[in-house]
Amino acid sequence: MKSKLQALEKDIIEGLRQCSHCKMCVSACPTYEGWYTQSSMGRLAAIYAFLMYGLGSEKELSKLLFSCSTCRRCQNICRAMSAGVETTDLIVKARNLLAIKFEAKGEDANG
Amino acid sequence: MDKSYKHVIPTGHVYIKESVLEKGNVFGVSADKTAWATGLDLPKKADYTVFAGCGYQLMKYADGMLASVRTAEKMGVGMEKVVGISKAFGKVGIDLAGITGRITTAGAEDIYTRVLISAINVLKKLSVDIGYMGTEEPCCGSPIYYSGFADDYINNAQKNYGLFKSMGVKKLIGVMPACTASLKNLYPQYINGYDLEVKHFIEVVADRLRESSIKPVLKKKMTIAYHDPCQISRVLNLSKLTREVISRIGGLELREPEVDQTGEWSTCCGGGGGMEVTFPELCERLAVRRVNELMATGVPVIATSCPACMMQLMKGVSKLKARVKVVDLAEILDEALPQ
Repeated sequence: MKSKLQALEKDIIEGLRQCSHCKMCVSACPTYEGWYTQSSMGRLAAIYAFLMYGLGSEKELSKLLFSCSTCRRCQNICRAMSAGVETTDLIVKARNLLAIKFEAKGEDANG
Repeated sequence: MDKSYKHVIPTGHVYIKESVLEKGNVFGVSADKTAWATGLDLPKKADYTVFAGCGYQLMKYADGMLASVRTAEKMGVGMEKVVGISKAFGKVGIDLAGITGRITTAGAEDIYTRVLISAINVLKKLSVDIGYMGTEEPCCGSPIYYSGFADDYINNAQKNYGLFKSMGVKKLIGVMPACTASLKNLYPQYINGYDLEVKHFIEVVADRLRESSIKPVLKKKMTIAYHDPCQISRVLNLSKLTREVISRIGGLELREPEVDQTGEWSTCCGGGGGMEVTFPELCERLAVRRVNELMATGVPVIATSCPACMMQLMKGVSKLKARVKVVDLAEILDEALPQ
């Protein structure tokens, strides 16, 4: 379980590193209402900060991740005009990371 | 059990996962999956198998299910993996069986089921040899993939592939955009030697209209704006094809909103990624914004191809108290095609 989690983490970080923070996806995101964290770039930055430096909590990260409608408009604009980051796929992978992490915890607690 | 689990994985998403894995549909209701096809006389074995999906036939339960999940979330019912979330719901007095009981509309009375029936009629009128899987039809699992339960999704996909094979299914026609995208794009990534031919309804219609001499014509002229569902436009890349089909319907005029709001750049209706269960207010704002964009074209009818989009757009329309009708493209096609 642990190696799987690490592999997924590595996969996500590699994907995140391609982001050039051009903010093209910010205006493309339908949930953007003034805060960067309501957009794709903000969500990706939050995942990166969490995975690399342990910034923020899982609870906060979860809120950002699950407020994405996975409509892939950001991924489309990134492919067309920027670095081609698979933004939506990365958000879904990060959701998966949280699920694996916490399901493992739950199993441990139950013996 | 780690107590923080329920703060990290929203109740609604856990509910969706358990529903898909245990009940075989997104809404977690024990509904008859063949009810919609009553009287349609569909065989089990045919050239093409229609994959109806949970969306259209069970969308009528969405409001009840969403309300229950939201109440549960407010009351702090979280993930209780051992007992199952429906039991946890029962403990605090939320009766999920009641959701199915309250809804009495059936068949063509229900606006969502009607779309499915229309789609079948269209395929029959275009003489496509179709059948369906009846009670055996599984849930493709697309919602749990987007909720982040990739392992469960893969297990479910492999189980489904075995089922398709054992039933001799070779060619699938999907009506739900999300199910079609899941069967077409995601399954091959996780199943070795995946060899099912998956097509979306609109692809089959476009092919048939090109080949045959049938010309769909609407008796009464209609002007529509088309809302591209995200799975149709950006995952399946069918925006252009959809417009080709629309242009082939006589008496139907399509008015496009701004360039950056249509086709592959269509904005979100708010119905995706399980957002309705966690952020209903945000969802509603998205719906209102999208309806406003489409209404700027001044059309009386908004067409789309997805039950979730349909639900969201109708929510937006009623919120704005606008006089706009929301229909599915399959219904327009059914009306336009000669018997």
